[in-house]
Amino acid sequence: MRVLIVEDDREVARNIAKMLRECGHVADTAHDGEDGLELARDGAFDVLIVDRMMPRRDGLSMIAALREDGDKTPVLILSALGEVDDRVEGLKAGGDDYLVKPYAPSELIARVDALARRRNPEAVKTRLEVGDLEMDLLARTVRRGGEVLLLQPREFRLLEFLMRNAGQVVTRTMLLEKVWDYHFDPQTNVIDVHISRLRAKIDKPFATAMLHTVRGAGYRLQP
Amino acid sequence: MSETAGSAWRLPPFLRTTAFRLTLLSAGLFALSSFVILALVYAATVGASMNRADAAITGEIAQIEARYAAGGAQAANRYIVQRSVGGGEFLYLFQDPERRRISGNISALPAVPADAQGRVRFVYERAPADGAQGGEGRNARGQIVVLAGGHRVFVGMDVEDETRFISNTLNAVLLASALALGLGIISGAVVSRRFSKRLDAINAAARAIRAGRLETRAPRTHTGDELDELSENFNAMLDRVEHLMQRMRTAGDSIAHDLRLPLTRLRGRLEGVLVEAEDPEAREAALQRAIADVDELLRTFHAVLSLARLQAGERRRAFERLDLTGLLADVAELYEPVCEDQGLEFACDCPAGLWLMGDRELIAQAVANILDNAVKYTPEGGAVVLRGRFTGAGEAEVSVTDTGPGIPMEHRARVLERFVRLEKSRSLPGVGLGLSLVQAIAEVHGARLTLDEGPGAVDGHGPGLRIALTFPAGEG
Repeated sequence: MRVLIVEDDREVARNIAKMLRECGHVADTAHDGEDGLELARDGAFDVLIVDRMMPRRDGLSMIAALREDGDKTPVLILSALGEVDDRVEGLKAGGDDYLVKPYAPSELIARVDALARRRNPEAVKTRLEVGDLEMDLLARTVRRGGEVLLLQPREFRLLEFLMRNAGQVVTRTMLLEKVWDYHFDPQTNVIDVHISRLRAKIDKPFATAMLHTVRGAGYRLQP
Repeated sequence: MSETAGSAWRLPPFLRTTAFRLTLLSAGLFALSSFVILALVYAATVGASMNRADAAITGEIAQIEARYAAGGAQAANRYIVQRSVGGGEFLYLFQDPERRRISGNISALPAVPADAQGRVRFVYERAPADGAQGGEGRNARGQIVVLAGGHRVFVGMDVEDETRFISNTLNAVLLASALALGLGIISGAVVSRRFSKRLDAINAAARAIRAGRLETRAPRTHTGDELDELSENFNAMLDRVEHLMQRMRTAGDSIAHDLRLPLTRLRGRLEGVLVEAEDPEAREAALQRAIADVDELLRTFHAVLSLARLQAGERRRAFERLDLTGLLADVAELYEPVCEDQGLEFACDCPAGLWLMGDRELIAQAVANILDNAVKYTPEGGAVVLRGRFTGAGEAEVSVTDTGPGIPMEHRARVLERFVRLEKSRSLPGVGLGLSLVQAIAEVHGARLTLDEGPGAVDGHGPGLRIALTFPAGEG
């Protein structure tokens, strides 16, 4: 996967690039909005990571310019501005996800992975399959090894998100944002408890576990 | 040089003020309008009095014509002589067809050409009544008529008194207008001087603040007039700014304070990794702990930042009408498994149709924080109840009741302060910002946050805690 990092803080850009390379991705960097826009227009990138406040051209205007060209490359916006209004503004400008600084590196990697997957849209799919786990989005049913699993509506949405991002790490914050639509940070381990409930339904009765905990990062659904 | 010369020509400061210019303008307009009105009255008066004179002259000529028609030149002459001797208000001159004077009280026709009707306006000299030398020029008007037999008769009338009266009136009008203008300018200067003195005081305060004396305030007169109101608003604005600056400073201090400890701990841990790098398992464990430390740091950082922003009132945007029942059901759904996991009984009791004006995210966060607290402090076997209702006064109230140890009365105010965690809870996770965040969210919504005793003590547990958020009643 090719990722372009547009970030005016060179050290931050270098660190992100290093992390991505360690995960087996190709990473390029640009240090202002103009260079970023030029590179993004030339190269075929799978994901763009764009800082919001940059010299010469700010991140939002760079994204807007790309979208005007019809470029649909997924964009993750990085910003120190974290209020709901800032987030809405970022997504309106054409961003696909929004991460507030400071963030945990694992959070960034997980979100980039999730964005790259979105590039090959599965939204039109009515069935999701991960290993022997199947989800019918129309009938709202879940089976594992042919056996029907009874899930609560929220558990269904949680599993759907995990299945769409199968094989990738998803963080607790991502789950809270995408499944519950909350952008705050509960002090207790609410997400862990929901995951363990889900696990009891999709893993416990079966020989192999699919829903793994990734320490210090989040969870991964993998056959 | 040219600048000095230029400024020498400028008006004194109080004459350059808006108040002065406005007064000047209104005085000018007043003077102009009074002048116009008086000028109209003047024109009407002059017209009327001259018409009256002309009518009298025409009437007198008709008398003479009548006598001339009946008794010829002799009868007309007799009449004119009689009238001249009688000392009436008319001037007469009677001429034969060869334009020789026959009779009358003036010697010759006025040397002014007459118009088509024979009317003339002229100035004649009349000897002073006391017989002194020289005469005074007096205004008069008259009419010359040629009679049927070729005789000419002239009848005139002295209008000097009327003319003089009229011109006196005109002078008075002009004088009054000029006086109104002058008084306007003087009162404008006086008013603007007073006005600019008070504005100067406010400006001086603003300049002092710019120069760094932040505690300066604009003087108040407490008269309730608009300048006093300006001072009041100005001061209120400054108080708010000072308050915000104070809060930002406190926020900065507490961020520094709260991050220093975990950062030091993290540094120690990382140094430890360097030292005991031999055992890969111990190293991995230490690194995992370091990552957990960093996560905790990030969490604290976010919490402190959003608290600071809330308290600074950054998020006071337009609230929307929220389905409170749905919102509480969602949060309950998020927390119910946690409670069950901890061996707590959980219930959500909120009737359908509850609503309020607010920010969904913030209110969900407040309720989540209160629930966090309840879950954290309620021992196994206890219960947590989330309740929503409309009070009798129509206020939306959200409350969380637990059967934990509660908070002693004397500590209730203190737990709302930042970072305060009661001694007993030091060992539990969290950064002690939860309730201060709830408090800040309540403030943004104009809501009341109240802490009460829970259901009471049973078997060594309790007495419990009831935390309630009461939102102001919405309209409609």
